[in-house]
Amino acid sequence: MICRVLICRVLLCRVLIIASLFADIAPRTAAASQSSQTTTRQSFDQLLQSAQKAREQNHDDEAMQLFRRALQQKPDSEEALWYLGSMLYEKEQFAEARDVLRSFLTLRSDAGPGWALLGMSEFQLREYPRALQHLQHAMTQGMGDRKELMQSVFYHVAILLTRFERYDDSMDMLQKMLASGSSDPTLVEPAGLAGLRLPYLPAEIPPDQRELISLAGKAVMALQMQSQEEADAEFKRLVAAYPNEPGVHFLRGAYLAELHPEVAMGEFERELAISPSNAIARIRLAQQLITAGEFDRALSLAQQAIQLDPKRASAHMMAGEALIAKGDAAEGIKELETARAEDPSIGRVHWDLLRAYAASGRKDDAGKEKAEIEKIYHGTSPNHSQSLGDSSHDSVRQ
Amino acid sequence: MSSFVPGLLIAISIATSAVNVPSRFETIAKQAETARTQDRVPEAIRLYREGTHLRSSWIDGWWYLGSLLYDQDRFSEASSAFQHLTNTSHRGPAYAFLGLCEYENGHYELALQHFRAWAAAGWAGSPELVDVAVFHFALLLTRDGRFVESLYLLASVAPRLGDVPELSEAMGLASLRLRYLPENFPPEFRERIWLAGKAALYAAQSPRDFARADEFAERLEKRYPRHPDVHYFRGTIFTFEGKTAEAEREYREELAISPQHAPSMIALATIDLDKADRVEAGEFARTAIEADPNNPEAHHLLGRVLLEDGNLRTSLTELETAKRLAPDSASVRAHLAMVYTRLGRTREAKAESAALLTLKNKEEVMAPAKVKLGAPKERAH
Repeated sequence: MICRVLICRVLLCRVLIIASLFADIAPRTAAASQSSQTTTRQSFDQLLQSAQKAREQNHDDEAMQLFRRALQQKPDSEEALWYLGSMLYEKEQFAEARDVLRSFLTLRSDAGPGWALLGMSEFQLREYPRALQHLQHAMTQGMGDRKELMQSVFYHVAILLTRFERYDDSMDMLQKMLASGSSDPTLVEPAGLAGLRLPYLPAEIPPDQRELISLAGKAVMALQMQSQEEADAEFKRLVAAYPNEPGVHFLRGAYLAELHPEVAMGEFERELAISPSNAIARIRLAQQLITAGEFDRALSLAQQAIQLDPKRASAHMMAGEALIAKGDAAEGIKELETARAEDPSIGRVHWDLLRAYAASGRKDDAGKEKAEIEKIYHGTSPNHSQSLGDSSHDSVRQ
Repeated sequence: MSSFVPGLLIAISIATSAVNVPSRFETIAKQAETARTQDRVPEAIRLYREGTHLRSSWIDGWWYLGSLLYDQDRFSEASSAFQHLTNTSHRGPAYAFLGLCEYENGHYELALQHFRAWAAAGWAGSPELVDVAVFHFALLLTRDGRFVESLYLLASVAPRLGDVPELSEAMGLASLRLRYLPENFPPEFRERIWLAGKAALYAAQSPRDFARADEFAERLEKRYPRHPDVHYFRGTIFTFEGKTAEAEREYREELAISPQHAPSMIALATIDLDKADRVEAGEFARTAIEADPNNPEAHHLLGRVLLEDGNLRTSLTELETAKRLAPDSASVRAHLAMVYTRLGRTREAKAESAALLTLKNKEEVMAPAKVKLGAPKERAH
């Protein structure tokens, strides 16, 4: 079923791209054609024209052959490379499509839809690291008003981020997709996988874990869609059905962190009993303990998290907050500065530093942090969505 | 006459400029360098192509052409460019790039050959290139069924690279002795590969993080208690931790699931030898040889058992077989030297001791591929 969904997603974006993209790049190709030698141009132009005609008449094989012949004459023809690449993709000849699109993108690195098709081809070929890189590049370059293509790219980026253990980034992507009001059932499993922090693609879910992941996904989806009652029920069902599975108690704890902090702390503790090396559960528990004024224990947990994951900014952030709360401003600032160095995009770290510098009389440094905060929040509306992962991915992060 | 004059003038002009201005090749080379340094990639590629066409001995041209194409993921074309460098001073890194290109082109046997040549040439290249090449070399060794060598390479980069998902996946495949590449293993294997990979990766960190390795290995065992190679893998983690009793239990568990599992028999024979249980050690070594007649370690162990039993002639036969199968094993040479000494064959004993010394010296630096990483075995996926 999942494979069918994926195939549908791939097919969905096919029809939309081919006809529309080349309008964007035609002027440059025309200029390039003019610089060709007259005899070559005639022959090349004729071939291209015939190829276009064949394509328009749905004689795909003939069109592809003509595009190939045109490329033999002029290997750098953007137009021929694009049409051939996208037609190969449509024909599910992903390896050849990938190679042709790579040549196209050497010439047109600004073509977002080109990166999208390349990334999708690589996804189909299971070249996941490159697929993720190129799909993200497509997002950066933009895909114009091609909504379906964009959704497909977002979906694939989200599931690949999970596979590469970037669960919080994946959750952010899914959240954006859900924020558009879509309760697409194909997002249930990706949401469940990211929520439980399991690095599989939907197609890689072990059959005996599908129900667990689906339950978790429904709970996450309900929460993201602001259906509190439904989320409550789904989380209860999840914990009742799978009380000993890694990730389950952490997820419920993250869900309850704001609503019922006491219950959340219990859930984080239970998670740590099941998964002793879970750094994020330690960080989230430390965060709750700081709010509760239990700074010693918070610091100890944050330090353990640093040992487990030295590069995680939120672990240093919690250690810094706990140290400052305990009155050790100098060491606290050091930890916060480490957090800032590891991830300068976390607003909360800059707020912490602003307060700490101000309290220490370091006005210039405080001013710099203020500027950073303004930069981070400039042009963005405050996001109060609840984090189901690392605490740095909560409302203070942009 | 009038039409001749302009032609003559042009000819004179060309002749004059040939003296004063750089040749076409030099102009192209300069333009190519400018385009490259200014990040005008398509133009740089075109110019390097033109330059190498004009002068096929232009080493830098081939190098930059290959590198630019490689950076664009155009591996087939990059490979053609790097081919021109295998007899030049760029030979070392060129072999690494050729291995990487052929891997991406799906020519795995050829890629493995290039990586072996790269290793034989001294593992040359920038630290980044070495990491990437070592990683892909290891993937191909796994595909080739050379799991120990693969893990040896992956473990060498693990402390520096840390918890990288691609690395743990590669270690998972090798740890579970699965002859697949990351691109082609069955999707239903993903969970167990991930769990094993994490365990192996944490066990390979510096300092070793056995607590986390155990957590993932335990999860793997809980989820896949009846799957081949899972208990063997758990046993190897326990062995690294020095938990011999637990390791022994796991190896025996593996044999209950996979009765022909030669690596478990060898591991058990080793434990028996350490406990001076030569009878069972000999039995395990013999059964391992039956299961995998070309396994050098099985012959080596049997040779050691026989040596300790005082059965020198038979021991010698086994150790010679081990030497033939693994000519670079210092440990085999050490035991051979002992047997020859006890047999009074001083000259051979001295030769083996000398070989042992050479091999040990080689091990101090990273050994060339042909020495350390042997020849390919049977076909894989």
